[in-house]
Amino acid sequence: MALPKGFGSAGGATSEDVAQMIGRRIENYGGLITMAYIAAWLATFGGTAAGYFYYPWAYPTPSGHFAFIVLTLVESIGYIFCMKIAEEGSNKNSNRLMAVTMSGVAIGTVYISMFVGF
Amino acid sequence: MAQMPTLIPKEVEIHRLKKIWLIIIAMGSTAASVEVDNFVDGSLHQTSIRDSAFTPAHWWLYSHFVALPLGWGAVAIYDRRVPVLRGPNNSMNTGLKMTILGYLATMFTIGINEMWHFWFVEEIFAVPNHWMFNMGVVVAFIGALAYVVRVYARLVELGAETPGENPYIAEMYKMALEGKLYSRTIP
Repeated sequence: MALPKGFGSAGGATSEDVAQMIGRRIENYGGLITMAYIAAWLATFGGTAAGYFYYPWAYPTPSGHFAFIVLTLVESIGYIFCMKIAEEGSNKNSNRLMAVTMSGVAIGTVYISMFVGF
Repeated sequence: MAQMPTLIPKEVEIHRLKKIWLIIIAMGSTAASVEVDNFVDGSLHQTSIRDSAFTPAHWWLYSHFVALPLGWGAVAIYDRRVPVLRGPNNSMNTGLKMTILGYLATMFTIGINEMWHFWFVEEIFAVPNHWMFNMGVVVAFIGALAYVVRVYARLVELGAETPGENPYIAEMYKMALEGKLYSRTIP
C-alpha cells in the first residue's frame, strides 16, 4: 500500500493507521489455513483416486494410496508450519482446532487407504 | 510504479513478511509434492513408455509447472509492500526474479516437450526436451533459496523469529544479516 504523505493526524503513524495497514492480522488466518489444508487433502484424494480408478494398469491402488499418504504427510507438515508461524507471538492458540483437524484427516486417510479403490 | 515508502512500521512489516512466508510454505509444499510425482511419473513410464499427454502423472506435473510461476508471481505482487525486499534500482528482488523466470521457463517447456513427444516417445531424464525443465527448476530453486533466506533474515532482524541455536547456523544468519552471505551488490 502506498501511503499518503504525513499519515496520522499530526504526522507519524497512529495505532489506527498501523491497524489499517496490517489489514487482517496474520493470527486470524487460522480458519482460512485450516480450510485450505482440508481442501488440499480432498484434492489429493481426488487426484490419486483418478489414477487408480481410471488408470489401474498404470497406477495400482496400493501405489495410489502410498502417494496419498506421503502427500498427506507433506500437507500436514505445511499446515503445522503455517498455523504455528501465523500464531507465534500472539495470544491466539488453535492447538485444539489443529488436533481435531489433523486427527480427522489421519482417520480419513487410514480409512481411505484400507477400503477405497480395491 | 507507485512510490514506495522507504520505512513502514515494524509491526506492519512483520505481518507482511509472515503473509509472504505462508505463501512460501504453500509453494514449498507444492514443490515437495512433485517430488512424489517424479516417482509416479517414473512408474507410468516404466509401465508404458508414453500413452498420451494428459495422464494423471502429467496433470500433476504440468499443473505444478503452472501453479508455481503463478504462486511466486502472487508473492511478487504482494512483495512490493515490503520496502526491504526491493531489488536493485527499485525493481523486483533478484532471488524472486530468478524463481519466477525459472518456473516460467518450465511452464513454457510443457509445450516444447509435447511437441517433441509428437515424434518421440522416449522419456528418460536426459532427452533434450527435458533440459529446460531441469535447468528451469534448478534456477528457480537457487532464486527461491536466496529469497527465503532474505525474508527469514529480516524476520530475525525484526525480532519476530529466533535464529537457530546451532552455532554454525547462527553464524550463517549473522552473515546474512550483515549482507555477507552472498554479494552485497545483489540485494
